[in-house]
Amino acid sequence: MLRTKGKAIAVIAATAIAVTGAVIAPATAAAKIKIGVTVYDMSSFITQGKEGMQAFADKNNIQLVWTSAGGDVATQASQVEQLINQKVKGIIIVPVQADSLAPQVKAAKAAKIPVFAVNTTLKDSSGLTSSVLPDDVAAGAQEMEQMAKQLGGKGNIVILQGPLGSSPELNRTAGITKVLAKYPDIKVLAKDTANWKRDEATNKIKDWLSSFGNTINGIVAENDDMGLGAVQALKEANKKLPVVGIDGIQDGLAAVADGDFIGSSLQHGRVELATGLAVALMVAQGKSVKPTYTYVMPPITPANVAQYTKNVVTDKAAFLKRLPAVIAKNLKSGDIANEN
Amino acid sequence: MSKHGTSALGNLEEAEKASWNKERIANLLVRNSMVFVLLIVIGYFSSKNDGFLTLPNLRTILIASAPFALITLGQTVVILTGGIDLSVGSVIALATMTSAKFVVTHPDQFWAAIALGIFVGLLAGIINGVVIAYLNVTPFVTTLGMLTIASGLAYAIGNGAPINGLPERWGTIANSKFLGFQSPVFVMITGFVVIGIVMSRSAFGLRIYAVGGNRVAAEVAGVNPRRILIYVYAISGTLAGLSGVILSSRVISGPPNLGSGYELSAIAAVVIGGASLMGGRGTIWGSFLGLLLIQTLNNGLDILIIPAYWQSVISGVLIIAAVTVDMWATKRSTR
Repeated sequence: MLRTKGKAIAVIAATAIAVTGAVIAPATAAAKIKIGVTVYDMSSFITQGKEGMQAFADKNNIQLVWTSAGGDVATQASQVEQLINQKVKGIIIVPVQADSLAPQVKAAKAAKIPVFAVNTTLKDSSGLTSSVLPDDVAAGAQEMEQMAKQLGGKGNIVILQGPLGSSPELNRTAGITKVLAKYPDIKVLAKDTANWKRDEATNKIKDWLSSFGNTINGIVAENDDMGLGAVQALKEANKKLPVVGIDGIQDGLAAVADGDFIGSSLQHGRVELATGLAVALMVAQGKSVKPTYTYVMPPITPANVAQYTKNVVTDKAAFLKRLPAVIAKNLKSGDIANEN
Repeated sequence: MSKHGTSALGNLEEAEKASWNKERIANLLVRNSMVFVLLIVIGYFSSKNDGFLTLPNLRTILIASAPFALITLGQTVVILTGGIDLSVGSVIALATMTSAKFVVTHPDQFWAAIALGIFVGLLAGIINGVVIAYLNVTPFVTTLGMLTIASGLAYAIGNGAPINGLPERWGTIANSKFLGFQSPVFVMITGFVVIGIVMSRSAFGLRIYAVGGNRVAAEVAGVNPRRILIYVYAISGTLAGLSGVILSSRVISGPPNLGSGYELSAIAAVVIGGASLMGGRGTIWGSFLGLLLIQTLNNGLDILIIPAYWQSVISGVLIIAAVTVDMWATKRSTR
């Protein structure tokens, strides 16, 4: 009975969307659509993502059932099971680990609950209705292009990698390597991990400065934190070299604005996770969705950093207000990383 | 041996004196073996790369050592009592996050932020000490618990996220220079000299050794072991707090995972420096050499572009080798 009512509302909502062209359900709708979320942990990326999801949920009559796995695969598995028991209309998983949750996804499928992977895919993706994933290979390629352009296609670089073997590290490194093949005159003097951390990156770069002296022409960091560590090392050594990062965290954006970074790539949690929720809503409303939505990180440059800083840091309230409309537009255009 | 006795007794005395000398020589060798190892390592890296034996690289090694030096000092004092402090890495994170949170909301109250970070470390240390001394929970378990608690609190302060956007001025703590060396280097040297003198020359230092060597005997001799235990964990916590403030100033941010795993480096430095995990034996000088060896290796292996995973293999081998040599030397000298 209730379920038919829900479906009826969904149909009305879908019609409303079809008419108005916006993903805005009637505010008068009685029952909220319950969608479950389990995230790997509360990182700054996820904290942003939660804000974005909440803004989208408030606007679209969704009740979010939010859980965080604290970095533990087993916790995440039981959270998925709990969400199945609660009969939610969709489960969004931001996985702790790609190679996990196969039995839980199967159970959700048996209970006819659609499952979505956001940010990291699951190894067994057969049970997934859809995924929203960042293109880390493209991000690696993009930062290497930014550096190659800065160096005029010629020079010596060092690379700071993420934790070796983790999927963002492997993909970002693959992107960097791919671009490097196009530039035979760019030499990699050294590459090693600094585990995403500023303090490790500072020490690593200082050691490399001792080793290579003035022959380093640029520093490619696979995330902003390590890039900021490199900037610190350069300051301590009274040197100035181009540095590039990925992620667009608050201090990273400031570094682009100050000229400490030549650029970065924006991985905006609010946009990426809210898009995942929007896709889950579409499925709950009986609409068809693509199997994968790819979040291609927009480049952050000195020219556009001011706008992104507003969206991410200084004026995020205004951004969250217009986020639901932005996402509705993005899902139509296919460019899900757009922020305008 | 109070009386001068027969010639037989005299011979015995002489033999004892000789064996005591032998032990002393053995100890001296063990202590200096680390100096030799360090010199060999320095010689090797210098021959391999011109950038190694330079003043800027010396500065690089020292500034990288400073945050580890503070927790190594604390760890040495704790280990001398037969204890261990596994919580220092997380206490660094907690102090970092506390200071960062405070300075981001009160950018004008710079000194209060520094004091707060150090105070949080002191508090964590005192709690460790009280639980160990009065509730008789083993140091391993107590500080393992504190490791988890402090790490959880560090994340809680930032709502699970790093604190960004610290005022530029926060960076002046660790980045102001004197004679070309950054301030933490002087903090490190001061720490080693002061604690080195306290441990080798003062009654307080003697009591710490006594508690670690033989707690019952120490108690009979009038030492209050509980008070000593609280002091040593308080010292360790305070130094971890200071280390956290310095680290967060160096990177001008508050990452909740700053310092994770640092406790193991500190313990490694102490062990390589010849201290016994059973307590009562070890020196500040030894720990200083242990720390310097680890940091020199990290730096030199980076310079030779040895990947991080091989670096950790080499460090592990070094730790086991150091302890093996130490055990062999101890056995020899007590034979």
